[in-house]
Amino acid sequence: MMLIDIYIQEVTRRLPEKMRSDIALELRSTIEDMLPGEYSEEDVKEVLNTLGNPAVLASGYKDQPMHLIGPRYFDVYVSLLKMILPIAAVISLITVISQNVFGYSGDEAILSIVLHIIGEGIWATIDVGIQVFFWLTLTFVIIERVDKNKDEQPITLNTGKWTADELKNIPYIPKKKAISKFEIFGGLMWTAIWATVYFNANQLVGVYHGTENGLKFVMPALNQEVLLQYLPIIVIIIGIEIAMSLYKLLKAQWTKRMAIFNAIHELIVTVVFIMIITNSKLMNQQFISYMSDLFSKENFNNWLIVSAICIFIISAAINVYDGFKRARVHK
Amino acid sequence: MSNLLDSLTTELRRGTLTLAVLSQLRTPQYGYSLVQLLKESGITIDQSTLYPLLRRLEKQELVSSSWDTSESRPRKYYVLSDYGLEIFLKLKEDWMSISKELYTILREDEENDVD
Repeated sequence: MMLIDIYIQEVTRRLPEKMRSDIALELRSTIEDMLPGEYSEEDVKEVLNTLGNPAVLASGYKDQPMHLIGPRYFDVYVSLLKMILPIAAVISLITVISQNVFGYSGDEAILSIVLHIIGEGIWATIDVGIQVFFWLTLTFVIIERVDKNKDEQPITLNTGKWTADELKNIPYIPKKKAISKFEIFGGLMWTAIWATVYFNANQLVGVYHGTENGLKFVMPALNQEVLLQYLPIIVIIIGIEIAMSLYKLLKAQWTKRMAIFNAIHELIVTVVFIMIITNSKLMNQQFISYMSDLFSKENFNNWLIVSAICIFIISAAINVYDGFKRARVHK
Repeated sequence: MSNLLDSLTTELRRGTLTLAVLSQLRTPQYGYSLVQLLKESGITIDQSTLYPLLRRLEKQELVSSSWDTSESRPRKYYVLSDYGLEIFLKLKEDWMSISKELYTILREDEENDVD
């Protein structure tokens, strides 16, 4: 008798309150039906074995699924996760970097700032990843349980039943035209790196001497005050580069318009770069004479400026050309 | 291999179970009597599947249920509703044509093997 009671309890405790008494009663009468008139504990065990695991029996009675996210929602769930996770991670990373760069007081050593950014960046990325994963999963678990539609058809991102018409909404992206997530991330990373260098040029760019305690920064190459005169235009360029990356993320492929934007962006950057580097007050006088001595060459700085401009223009031209080439790909 | 075979067989049987149960519910039955009835026809049904199935059919209004407390042991009887009968007859027709088609296709296969 005891075993039967426990079995029934094990089944009903997994069920909603209002179903319990009725199912308990039916289960008891069924079990007694199955038992012979005079029964031993062995008989009871045999009967309970045929009924099987109470958890399985209870799940049969329940309408609620025994999974978190079923086949109906799984596809949408994974697609959304893949879409949101990298965006959230990149945004949190950029936030960390810009907070540290703009909030820089000038007191701390650059290396410790960099380490701080790396550490905080990793932590922020993990944190935001867990948050996104948790809330998105929770949302879908709730939808799975609230949605009473018994249709087993998996739904797609357009949240309806799939028809061939949906294909029209999906752009066909040839491999050469496609913009990888890596490319977008690399672009953002590059923006973050050069912006960091720009704001800390007097502590990063210059002459280093090897000492017993590692590299020692002895003299800056550039005058930070001169550099900072260009702050407004630099901020605009940073804005343009972030906008470009988001635009690329959205489109996922090169278009003619994107190639034009890219060309305009490269043109602005090149002009600003030439403007800054040809500013006669940009380079530290001390640095100029140091370099001229080092290479025993007069006007070393002119030579440096010309080659930097050449490299910059060539790479910008390649970039612009590449953009148009990839936008033109049709197959 | 036997594991895969088992799961395929279970899958194959699962759909037919509803039909088998509905066919026996033209007269009122309680859980255990239904098991016995099906067993006589050679259909063994996992009991942990049957009882929840009966509940589900009741919820879908294909069967109605009532408690009989006149005997020493109270029993819950299930019987086809009008709607359930209608559905059952259609389902039966479907099954007949499916099994005929399948029989034909498997028969051809067998003849090809012999050749």
